[in-house]
Amino acid sequence: MLIFILKRLGLALIVALTVSVIAFALLRASGDIATALAGEGATPESIAVIRETYGLDRPLIVQYFAWLWDVTRGDFGQSFFFRTDVAGLIIGKIGNTLILGGASLAIALALSIPLGVLAAIYSGSMIDRAVTLFSLMGQALPSFFLGLVLIMIFAIRLRWFPASGADSWKNFVLPAVTLGYYITPPFMRLVRAGMIDALNTDYVRTARAKGLPARRVVFKHALRNALVPVVGLVAVQLGLLMGGSVVVESIFALDGLGYLAYQSISYRDFPVLQAVVLLLSLAYVVLTLLSDIINAWLDPRLRAA
Amino acid sequence: MNKPLLSVRDLRIDLNTRLGVLHAVRGISFDVAAGETLCIVGESGCGKSMTSLALMDLLPRVASRSAQGITFDGQDLTRRRIAGKLRGRRMAMIFQEPMTALNPAFTIGDQMVEAYLYHVGGTRAKAVDRAVQMLEKVGIGSARSRLGQYPHQLSGGLRQRVMIAMALMTDPELLIADEPTTALDVTIQAQILRLLKDLQQELGLAIILITHDLGLVSRIADRIVVMYAGAIVEEGTAAEIFDRPAHPYTRALIDCIPQPGKTERGAPLGTIPGVVPSLIGRQDGCAFRDRCALAGPRCANDIPTQAAGSHRWVCIHGGRA
Amino acid sequence: MIAMTTNPPSRTAKTLRKMLHHPSLVVGVAIVAAMILVAIFAPLLAPHDPYVQDISRRAVPPVWYEKGTWENILGTDQLGRDYLSRLIYGARVSLLIGFSVVLISGIIGTTLGLLAGYFGGRVDTLVTFIVTVRLAMPVILVALAVVALFGGSMWVVITVLGLLKWDRFAVVVRSTTQQIRALDYIASARSAGASTFWILLREVLPNIAPQLIVIATIEVASAILMEAALSFLGLGVQPPLPSWGLMISEAKSYMFFSFWLIAIPGTALATLVFAINLAGDGLRDMITPERS
Repeated sequence: MLIFILKRLGLALIVALTVSVIAFALLRASGDIATALAGEGATPESIAVIRETYGLDRPLIVQYFAWLWDVTRGDFGQSFFFRTDVAGLIIGKIGNTLILGGASLAIALALSIPLGVLAAIYSGSMIDRAVTLFSLMGQALPSFFLGLVLIMIFAIRLRWFPASGADSWKNFVLPAVTLGYYITPPFMRLVRAGMIDALNTDYVRTARAKGLPARRVVFKHALRNALVPVVGLVAVQLGLLMGGSVVVESIFALDGLGYLAYQSISYRDFPVLQAVVLLLSLAYVVLTLLSDIINAWLDPRLRAA
Repeated sequence: MNKPLLSVRDLRIDLNTRLGVLHAVRGISFDVAAGETLCIVGESGCGKSMTSLALMDLLPRVASRSAQGITFDGQDLTRRRIAGKLRGRRMAMIFQEPMTALNPAFTIGDQMVEAYLYHVGGTRAKAVDRAVQMLEKVGIGSARSRLGQYPHQLSGGLRQRVMIAMALMTDPELLIADEPTTALDVTIQAQILRLLKDLQQELGLAIILITHDLGLVSRIADRIVVMYAGAIVEEGTAAEIFDRPAHPYTRALIDCIPQPGKTERGAPLGTIPGVVPSLIGRQDGCAFRDRCALAGPRCANDIPTQAAGSHRWVCIHGGRA
Repeated sequence: MIAMTTNPPSRTAKTLRKMLHHPSLVVGVAIVAAMILVAIFAPLLAPHDPYVQDISRRAVPPVWYEKGTWENILGTDQLGRDYLSRLIYGARVSLLIGFSVVLISGIIGTTLGLLAGYFGGRVDTLVTFIVTVRLAMPVILVALAVVALFGGSMWVVITVLGLLKWDRFAVVVRSTTQQIRALDYIASARSAGASTFWILLREVLPNIAPQLIVIATIEVASAILMEAALSFLGLGVQPPLPSWGLMISEAKSYMFFSFWLIAIPGTALATLVFAINLAGDGLRDMITPERS
């Protein structure tokens, strides 16, 4: 088991590094950074100075490995725009995004598990169709549209929640609902499919034959096995969550990692962007590994592998 | 005669399919006495499994059941509430595929004590002790350590024994076994059958054994019911059926009993030419007439039931040895 | 006995009749078809030129409001452009981008999936690695970054999304190909001396086609939403193009007074994506064998 984890960690690292290489190459490919940084009407001399200061005159490969070397020592460079230490910047803002992500996930699971179970038990009936329709609507509504509508209703008209900022827990409600609603459909479909399969298994039939009450059969025997793939989906959805959070954080002016990433793109703040991309890709591979481990724990049959 | 433990009168099961209503079971009646082994025999699709599911109220949603009466110890099993109380408590069931019949996510011990705690109550320790007792009764050694194992760690034969032990936890009076040995090796089959017979004698258990294998039946049946195309064609004691089979189908089945060493496991029961008729729509007359050597024009009408004591058959030609 | 008809229905007729049993499929396809027609015949249907500004007729509400007029049925935006016309032309943008992206990503993903599923071994390991790398990338960020760097335009958006969104195709095609590869008729084709390319084209591809279509519909919807999000953030299609996402972004600040400026394109987006998903769901139900 330990060797398995180590091998997967190694793979994770390679994947993350590959992503960072791609990001690096992409950013550098867009043109001369020094010119962009120097701004309008800059003289060739000032451009040259900038180029030298940031080490942009070195070959690309050297630049990349220099960056990588710094990263291993915890130095992610300086933000072009904010003029402070990138690592500090990220650490300061990541909290909000984590809270937003956690709350959205919680809302999504709180919605999708009951609905998925309901749809599976009454599979084929009107209830099932209504639930499926509801999840399709969730997927069709653009997150930014929903966000604006929620602001309109709850922040401006009703004044229940603030429309922007990140001061108190109230600031996170509307963004979390927006994001949560957006990621609910894939979970709901997975729970429903998993439950339908589980309810048709022989072991559920055995449980029924033992005379156990229906609720226990559904929740103890069926759901337990149906949830295994859901865990895996959480990791994948984190990627979606990241993308969604860029939009949602922008609308609600929630100062988190997504908004930082957006700003870094607008301002050509490459060090920040590099760091964020590396962080996100590492997070994704580690999370998928984690979900595999949890899966093995949940389904004893997988432990032998 | 004593009042039967289980009594079924005119059981009908219909399945809603896209091609129409399929009459899986077309009005069957039988009794099971306490402590006796009744074997329901027939080929796949004859409705025997559906019957067993109907007794336990475990039919799938697409099936609808109706009966003049299904009683267990005098209680009306057609009432969902009553069936729910009896199911898993005084009536237990084991199935064909031991490989998939146990939940892979929980230990053997968990699954065994679960129903016991629900139906009987008491402390977990007591339930565990009983589980150990049951495992030993079915011949599983080092029982206590087995409780902590997961189903996938056991072989098919062991799993089926566990299923039986699990079914017996609540000390039921009736055990319904739906093809319990079909998925197992021949040698294991014999062991399981002997185990069932021993348990029956020791515990006074009534057993309904569902199978397509008449050879198995000869070893443990007290009484036999032969089903074909959703209806009972013959019933009687083991002696009556094997010594004086009356219905042509029964006779054909007996002629096909696999001889050990000559026929492979799982092979279809010899060759009865033709196929089972479609069960969709109305059925008139004898369902077996398309495949019967003795069939005549009168077989297309309603066939009366003939009897000789407890031996009954539904054929106008039977009775001649 | 069931009576046999003398002329068995053709395969297209049977498929069409099968489709009718799935109302979601019918409704979805109908709405999408309608939108496609609207997009194609936009010049004939739009009452005004979507680009012409008229400051004197700024922010006129739709006709069902008090101040609305029939001249601009859905009102005008903050620059005086007729909203209905912009909505109609916006359909062109969404649909064009959606289908173009899926064309590109479909080709890339299917090729990768076929190669990985059919050849297995090291090819499979390589492709799986590539897919994992792609999955580890924060797609929205990369897309935003590329547009920011290379300039925003419809073709940049199409290219970058097409080059990024092939993963679902690759994964599904790979697993389906693996299943098909194990089947006997592939082995017999190989022993008959057919070339790999031929086998992939004539034996494998037609059998993965149904699932491919289902994935494609889902991906069209996803691409449309993603373009809308990019344009909303200002890093997608550029003004004055009437992208629905862009229209919502431009109207953001006027939201309080002129809510219809967001509501109308938002609803249009939601309806189109919903219809596509409905059709995709219906398609998937139709091709997967039903449970007994």
